[in-house]
Amino acid sequence: MTVNSQIPTPRFQTARRCTIGAAALAVLCLAAAPVLAHHSFAAEFDENKPIKLSGKVVEMRWSNPHAWIYLDVNNNGKTERWAFETGAANGLFRRGWRKEDLPAGTVLVIQGWQARNGTNTANAGSITFPDGRRLFAGSSNPNAERDK
Amino acid sequence: MSARVILGVVLAGVLAAGEASAQGAPTAPQGRGAGAGGQGAGAAGRGRGTAAAPPVRRMPDGKPDLSGFYDSVHRGANYGIEEHAGSTLTPPGQGIVVDPPDGKLPLQEWAKEELKSRQTPARGYDDPTAHCIMAAGVPRGFYVPSPFFIMQTPTHIVVLFERMAWRHIPLDPKRKHLPDSIRLWQGDSVGHWEGDTLVVNSQNFNGKPWLNEVGEITSHALTVVERFTPVNANTIMYRATLTDPIVYTRPFTIEVQFNRDPNGEMLEVACHEDNQDLQHMKDVKDAGTGLEKK
Repeated sequence: MTVNSQIPTPRFQTARRCTIGAAALAVLCLAAAPVLAHHSFAAEFDENKPIKLSGKVVEMRWSNPHAWIYLDVNNNGKTERWAFETGAANGLFRRGWRKEDLPAGTVLVIQGWQARNGTNTANAGSITFPDGRRLFAGSSNPNAERDK
Repeated sequence: MSARVILGVVLAGVLAAGEASAQGAPTAPQGRGAGAGGQGAGAAGRGRGTAAAPPVRRMPDGKPDLSGFYDSVHRGANYGIEEHAGSTLTPPGQGIVVDPPDGKLPLQEWAKEELKSRQTPARGYDDPTAHCIMAAGVPRGFYVPSPFFIMQTPTHIVVLFERMAWRHIPLDPKRKHLPDSIRLWQGDSVGHWEGDTLVVNSQNFNGKPWLNEVGEITSHALTVVERFTPVNANTIMYRATLTDPIVYTRPFTIEVQFNRDPNGEMLEVACHEDNQDLQHMKDVKDAGTGLEKK
């Protein structure tokens, strides 16, 4: 992961900015900023469909009301694209995330819960690099945050 | 005058008042605010201590200055106002109901059934905030886990909720509420001071908002009396008494503590930008009602 150290630091992030260092690739933000959702997590995602997938980041879409990580996953030689919902963009920002933090091609392992409508969509509960280092997900499910 | 114009006038007034306040040291004596922490003995009476905190801030006219950036100690109320255990998908909550004393919502029987229905996956689509209608009603904006900013002049309070729109509260005890035929998501609010407590009466609700993500209920018959009591420069105790004879057997009161962050600033939220959740939940609702996805 690369971090653009040229990005100016707004005043409001001094108390909330988590530690992201270019030398320390793992990002683990445990700040007390709230996890945000505008909808019922239980209504959209299925606790009986936990998933754990590994793949390459295609894009991290920095949008409202949630940011999304798009991952290409190899399923027996066939590439499937999955969309993982994370927390709200403003919540991620307060935790220290920046748009540049997750470039395309980064390999991730994401654990989460699949959407009830059966599409390749899931809520990201936790994200790790292949060597086990954890990347904070900013899940819209506050329980995922509580468990970290 | 449109609401947008009113807000613009209010904001201009706030900026002017803020400059004036910043130039002059508070001169009014500290009143009852420092002792108001007694209200904190209830559900929200935890969090920051008050011993070392600066005293209640004052406006030039001596009224408490409530302005600033706040987070609430929401105690999981966005996932249930009553004390409740968590599950894989729903966070736990410690409860914010301080009256009735048992902390239970005094729901009528039909409302209990409606609440059960709203908690099925197919009904998640029906929460207006899932549609990005962020005028989320009263008092939901104050316990959603999202900050808000209070702006104050001698004659107006404006609350800017980072994710839940805004409220405009004229401070005029003689002001009459809107005609009964006008119904609003956030209701019609009128405020006045009782000592150091800001008291806000709201009515004219449209009955559409949910009280939280699990679907707790109010109707168009709702009236709300909110009491904002500053404890010190950085803490407000908030109480809201909700009366809704269509849904509840008696009024009930919630209590939440607001903590000010002097360095906090609001961030932009544009909920409609990429709301993919709505389609997902529409699929679930359609499946639950036998409708085919088109």
